[in-house]
Amino acid sequence: MDTAAILETGAKLAFVIGINLGFFAPVLAWVERKQSAVMQDRIGANRADIFGFTVIGLFHSLADALKLIFKEDFVPRGADVTMHRLAPMIALIPALMGMAVIPFGGTYEIGGHAVNLVVADLDMGLLFVFAIASVATYGVVIGAWASNNNWSMLGGLRAAAQMFSYEVTMGLTIIGLLMYYQSLSLVEIVAKQESFWNWGIIYQWPAFILFLACAIAENKRVPFDIPEAESEIVAGYFTEYSGMKFIMFWTAEFIEVVTISALCVVLFFGGHHCAFISDAGLVALFGGGDLGNILAMLFGVAVFLVKVCVLIFIQMIIRWTLPRFRYDQVMMLGWKMILPLSLVWILFVGVAILTGLMPTPA
Amino acid sequence: MAITIKKIERGPKLTLWERSFVPEILRGMWITSRHFFHNMKTLTQEFALGGGRSKRSIMTLYYPEERPVTPVAYRGRPVLVRGANGLEKCVACGLCEAACPPHCISIVGAERDNGDRYPTTYTLDGAKCIFCGRCEEVCPKEAIVMSDDWAELCTYDRGEMLYDKERLLRPEASLARRLAFLRNNAFSKARYQ
Repeated sequence: MDTAAILETGAKLAFVIGINLGFFAPVLAWVERKQSAVMQDRIGANRADIFGFTVIGLFHSLADALKLIFKEDFVPRGADVTMHRLAPMIALIPALMGMAVIPFGGTYEIGGHAVNLVVADLDMGLLFVFAIASVATYGVVIGAWASNNNWSMLGGLRAAAQMFSYEVTMGLTIIGLLMYYQSLSLVEIVAKQESFWNWGIIYQWPAFILFLACAIAENKRVPFDIPEAESEIVAGYFTEYSGMKFIMFWTAEFIEVVTISALCVVLFFGGHHCAFISDAGLVALFGGGDLGNILAMLFGVAVFLVKVCVLIFIQMIIRWTLPRFRYDQVMMLGWKMILPLSLVWILFVGVAILTGLMPTPA
Repeated sequence: MAITIKKIERGPKLTLWERSFVPEILRGMWITSRHFFHNMKTLTQEFALGGGRSKRSIMTLYYPEERPVTPVAYRGRPVLVRGANGLEKCVACGLCEAACPPHCISIVGAERDNGDRYPTTYTLDGAKCIFCGRCEEVCPKEAIVMSDDWAELCTYDRGEMLYDKERLLRPEASLARRLAFLRNNAFSKARYQ
């Protein structure tokens, strides 16, 4: 690896981690409070201010973070201290790692150097995301077990059952899409979506609905938040967590929301492509050369982020619209509805591709 | 006796389409997003474009900055009316003192040089007052009325709630709305005179 490549990877890594921890995590905490408030005809958080500026309540995230940093880092009696400390990290780090294989832009020629806007261009990128997502389950289960609390334990058991069952289902919902694009590499899947008519959502919309449902269940958010179900088991698996460790669980949840949205954008909504203009056409539009490439790159990243934000918005609407499922309903939905439906969809896609009903993109 | 089996209908029968939840989920999302966009529009009008409150759909008040307008029949802290001549209207007859259910009023009366009676001290214990409005009802001189004072009546010191005459007196003009209401009320004592 030459210096330029190391610098490039470092810059991309800094961008991904920076935008997740520095932008999405605090802003989503604000969006969740404010969007739910506006949706329910309330005002929402608007009092925290710096020198009299409230910025419609945006500083509440900062205030919350500051407060939680200075809170007592509490470990309950009888808890397994090592595991109790380790669990939030196991929850947070995989959430960040999942973002590594997601391409947030295309490939651009800058100064005779091809810049590919993905931290790690893996051939089996999609499998990597799923593998890493299942590691995050351990954080939850270990955290629940190490807390020495019955409510935590119940939450952890629920989380284990729910997340492992939806892991299977989530993988199966995507198989049809993989058959359609004939690739596991997310970079390649995005490259094939240059034309609007090749976007995943056009032919694969049932897979999108099934995938989104599974992804939300995997992320343990309402309507599938039975592992933390406040009205039943206090706060579920993170009942005994406070201070920074609590922030880590909470940040992991928001980053997973971003990961899911980014994955949906990459798989179904054409990644950084803006529908009817090709990458080369975009570079030419910005005047070509290094400057044209840089502008096209910024534009592509902006388009990607806008799409991600729209999907986050949709997830937030779902989160604040639907009531929580019962435990047996969650299991029934996963095993008896989404799993058979995704199998049927795989069969249908296979037949449709063989008979030429669903032309696969070149 | 033969065992009879009774079939109980448990809930409505749903079609497959209804059991898929998809239309109901979409309908719910439509309702919440409609509220969201409508409220965003009105909030933008209010703050960014400077529209009025009448367009607002979020009814929450920004409390210390925004105060609710109480209806005229609202019974807040009782206050003494300061007449146009700058003197209290109270003649220290003691009717309010007698009518007050929790005995929170205590009056010491005296006579001026021109023969008018007036209270030398008029003490109303805000900690005891139950805001019933009896004092206002019995007063023959419209000298004590229920004001619209409702906010920040609580104090850290009980002594501060012992209102003396100076703290009770308010100019007649500021109580015009309440006085007009009292006179026009169907059960007003003004109608029996």
